[in-house]
Amino acid sequence: MGRYVVRRLGQLVVVVLGATMILFACLFVLPGDPVGQIAGSDKARDPAVIAQLHKQYGLDDPLIVQYGNYVGKLVQGDLGQDYTQSRPVSEILGPKLANTAKLAVAAIVLDIIIGISVGVLAAMRRYSIWDVSATFITTLAIGVPSIVLGMIMQRVFVIELGWFPLIADDSFNSLVLPAVTLAIIDAALVAQLARSTMLEVLGADYVKTAVAKGLPRRTVLSRHILRNSVIPVITYLGISFGGLLGGAIITETIFNWNGIGLALIQAIQQNNNPVIVGVVTISVAVFVVLNLVVDLLYAALDPRIRLA
Amino acid sequence: MRGANSAKWVAGAIVIALAATACGGSDDDSSSSSGKGSGKAGGTFRLGITEPVAIDPYNSQESEGILVTDNLFTGLYEPTADGKVIPALATSKEVSADGKTWTFKIKPGTKFSNGEAVDAEAFIRGWNRVVQKTAASDVAYHLAGIAGFEDVQAGKAPTMSGLSAPDANTLQVKLSAPDFEFYVKTTHTVFSPVPKVAGDAKNKTYNDAPIGNGPFKMQGTWQHNTSITLVRNDGYGLTKAKLDEVKISILNSNNGVTLEYQGFEAGTFDWARMPTPQLPAAKAKYDAQGEWIDENTNGMNYLLPITDNGPLKDKKAREAISYAIDRDAIIKGVFQGMQTKSTTILPPAFASVYQKDLCQSCIKSDPAKAKQLAKEAGLTPGTTLELGYNTGAGHEEWIQAVKQQVEKVLGVKVKATGKPFAELLADQQKAGATGMYRFAWGADYPTPDNFLYPLLDTASINKDASGKVTGDNRGRYSNPAFDALLAKARATEAEAGRNDLYKQAEKLAMDDMALIPLWNRTQLRLANTKKFADIKMDFHEDPNLAEISMK
Repeated sequence: MGRYVVRRLGQLVVVVLGATMILFACLFVLPGDPVGQIAGSDKARDPAVIAQLHKQYGLDDPLIVQYGNYVGKLVQGDLGQDYTQSRPVSEILGPKLANTAKLAVAAIVLDIIIGISVGVLAAMRRYSIWDVSATFITTLAIGVPSIVLGMIMQRVFVIELGWFPLIADDSFNSLVLPAVTLAIIDAALVAQLARSTMLEVLGADYVKTAVAKGLPRRTVLSRHILRNSVIPVITYLGISFGGLLGGAIITETIFNWNGIGLALIQAIQQNNNPVIVGVVTISVAVFVVLNLVVDLLYAALDPRIRLA
Repeated sequence: MRGANSAKWVAGAIVIALAATACGGSDDDSSSSSGKGSGKAGGTFRLGITEPVAIDPYNSQESEGILVTDNLFTGLYEPTADGKVIPALATSKEVSADGKTWTFKIKPGTKFSNGEAVDAEAFIRGWNRVVQKTAASDVAYHLAGIAGFEDVQAGKAPTMSGLSAPDANTLQVKLSAPDFEFYVKTTHTVFSPVPKVAGDAKNKTYNDAPIGNGPFKMQGTWQHNTSITLVRNDGYGLTKAKLDEVKISILNSNNGVTLEYQGFEAGTFDWARMPTPQLPAAKAKYDAQGEWIDENTNGMNYLLPITDNGPLKDKKAREAISYAIDRDAIIKGVFQGMQTKSTTILPPAFASVYQKDLCQSCIKSDPAKAKQLAKEAGLTPGTTLELGYNTGAGHEEWIQAVKQQVEKVLGVKVKATGKPFAELLADQQKAGATGMYRFAWGADYPTPDNFLYPLLDTASINKDASGKVTGDNRGRYSNPAFDALLAKARATEAEAGRNDLYKQAEKLAMDDMALIPLWNRTQLRLANTKKFADIKMDFHEDPNLAEISMK
C-alpha cells in the first residue's frame, strides 16, 4: 500500500513534467510576441520596453534553456512571473485556486447529495412516477448547456428578484448560483449512474442471498447494496472533481467568480503564457492526486481490490 | 481523462470567444444630463471595471488604470473632455524662446495623503522613477523629450539631467528638442508627483496601494481581480471631491460589459457600459429617464491603407475605396444607428481644430466616382486587396460589410483576414505589407499632434534593419510638405497659430487619403442621475468622480 502510493506519486511528477513540456513547446512556438502588445488602442509597444521585458522574462534564450529555467523554478514552487503585471504567478493563482476549490467542493457536495439520493430513490421505486420523472428531469438537465442555465438563473434570481448578489463576494449567498450551475449536469449524470448500478446490484445473487437469510432490509441496503453500487459513482465523482477545477470556465465567467478557470481564459486571450502553464500544471497535479485518492477509496470500499 | 479535461477547456474557450465577440463594440449619440446641481457631499459611487495593468502612475495606461490613478494623483495640468488643457497644481508656465526650457510654478502648501509636501522635488522624483530602465514602463516614452532621458533609459545615469528645482515650488524642465506643447503632455498620469515612500517602480507595496495627492485616496490595497476602494482625500489641495467613497468592482473581461449593464439594471452599479446587442433596448429605457450618456471622445476609427506598396499606393485608389464604402448603411445596419460617421482625421472632441467634412469621399458613398478613380489608379476589377482586422473585438460584422461594398462597387477581390491583435500588429509592421487594415487611435493628451505626428509623420515610420516598421505610422505615409507643416506647428508658441498649422497639415494628409476615416469613437454609458448630480464622461472615458455630488 505504502509503496503503491509512493509509486503513484512518482508517476505524478512524470505526468506534470510531461504536461508542462508539451504546453511549453506549444505556447512558446506560437506566433506573436507575448510582450509585444499594449492594452488600449492600436499603439505598438516601445521597442526599448519590449527589449527590457524580453530580458526580464528571459525570452531571448533558446526554448530549451527557458524550459530548463522554468522547471528549475517549478520544483521550488515558483511558477514564474506573468507578462502583464509582472506579478508572481503563484501569488496570482493562489487565491484563485482557493476560490475554484471552494466552488468545486460545493458542486461536488451537491452532486453527491442530489445525485445519489435521486438515483437511489429512483432505483428503489423502479417505474414509479418518481422514477419516471427523475429520468425525465435528469435527461433534461444533461441536455441544457450550463451557460444557458447559468444565464437564466442569473437573470431571474439576481437581476429580477435580487435574491443573490451580482458580483461575487465572500458570502454564502454568492456561492449558491455558481455551485448549482456547475453541479447540475454532473448531479444528473450521477443520479442516472447511481440508478443503473443500484438496479444491477439489486438483482445480484448476493443480495438475494442476504434477503433470503432474513437480514433486515436496512442492513441489506446499507451493507450490501449501497456499498457495492457506490463504487462506479465514486470513480465518476473523482474524475469529475478534477474536471470541475479546470472546467469551471463558463460558470466563473457568468458569475464573475475569481477562479482559475477565469484566469486561464483571460491568460489565453492575452498570450500570458506563464499563467496558462501555471493553471495547467496545477490542474494536472490536482487531477492526478484525485485519481490516486479515488483508487485508494476503492480499496477501502471493496475488500476484493488489493493495491500493490 | 486528461484529454477529456483539456477538450472541455477548448470547448469552453470557444463558447467564451463567441460570447466575447458579441460584446466589445460601442457607440453613439444623445447627451449627458444633469446641470449644475446643488451638489451635496456624501454617498458611495459604485462601478465595474476590468483588471488594470497598473494603478501606480509609473505604468498606468488604459482607461481602467487611469481611472484609478487620475483620482489618486494630481499633476501640473489636466485635460478636459472637449480637448482643452487646464491648470491643476501649476500656477504658471513659461517657455523659453527656443522652446527648450520650461519653467513651471507649483501651488505651494499642498500635501500627499501621508503628509509629505508636494513640491518640485516630488515631481522630479516621480518622473525619474518612471524612466529607469528596470521599471520597463510602457508609458515612459511620454517623457522622451526631456534632456537626459536616453541616459537614464540606458542605465548610464540615475536621474534626468533636464530636471531641476531652483526652489521648492519651481520646476525647471530642459528638453532635448523644442516643444511648445510640452505642458500639454503633463496632463498624462505618468507625469504625476510621488512621495518619498514610493521607492522605485518595482516597489510592490506602493504599486498596489499608491499614496498620492489626488482628490481620493486608497482604502486598503488593490484586491487583484476583486475590487479597489477609494475614499475622499479630505486634505486635498484643490477643490475637494464630494463623494465619500468610490467602490470599484473588478469584473472579468469576457463578461464585464454584460455584468456592468446587469449591475446597473439591478441597482448594483451607478455607471455602466452596455453590450452592443442591448443598446437599442437600453437607450429606449434609460434615455427617457436622463440616465443615458453619449459622447464623441478623443478616439477615431479608420481603415489604415499601406501607402508605399501594393494596390493602394496611389492616392486615387485610396479615395476610390473611401467612395465605395457606404458608411451610413453600415452605421444603420451593423451599429444600429449608435455610431457617427467621421469625415476627418482628427476627432470632433478636439473642438478647436475640428474641420467637419474635410474628407469629401467620406460624406456620401458614390459608386460612379469610386469606379472612375479606381480606373485612373489602375485598381482594376479582379485585383486582390488584403483587409486585416483583429478578432474577438466585435469587428467581424462591419468588416464583412466593407468587404461586400468594396467588392460590389469596384469588382476587386477583398481578402478579409481576422487574427488576434498581436498578430495583426505584426502583420502591419512587417516589411512588404499591402492592402488595408482596421485601425483605431486614441489620444494620450489633448493635442492634434498626438494624432498627426505618430500616425503620419515620416519620422514615425522608423523602419529597422529588416524593414519592419517600429513606429506607429504603419501606413508608411510620407510627405515632406506634411512633415514641414508639422515641424512648423511644433515650433509655434502661440496656440492659435499652432492650431492653424495643424489644420493645414490635416488637410494635406486628408487630400492624400493617408487614412480612410470610418466613424468617430462614440462612447455610451449609463449613469445613475437619479441619485447623483454633475455626472459626466471625462477625457479618459471614465466618470468624473472628483466632481460628482449627491442629489
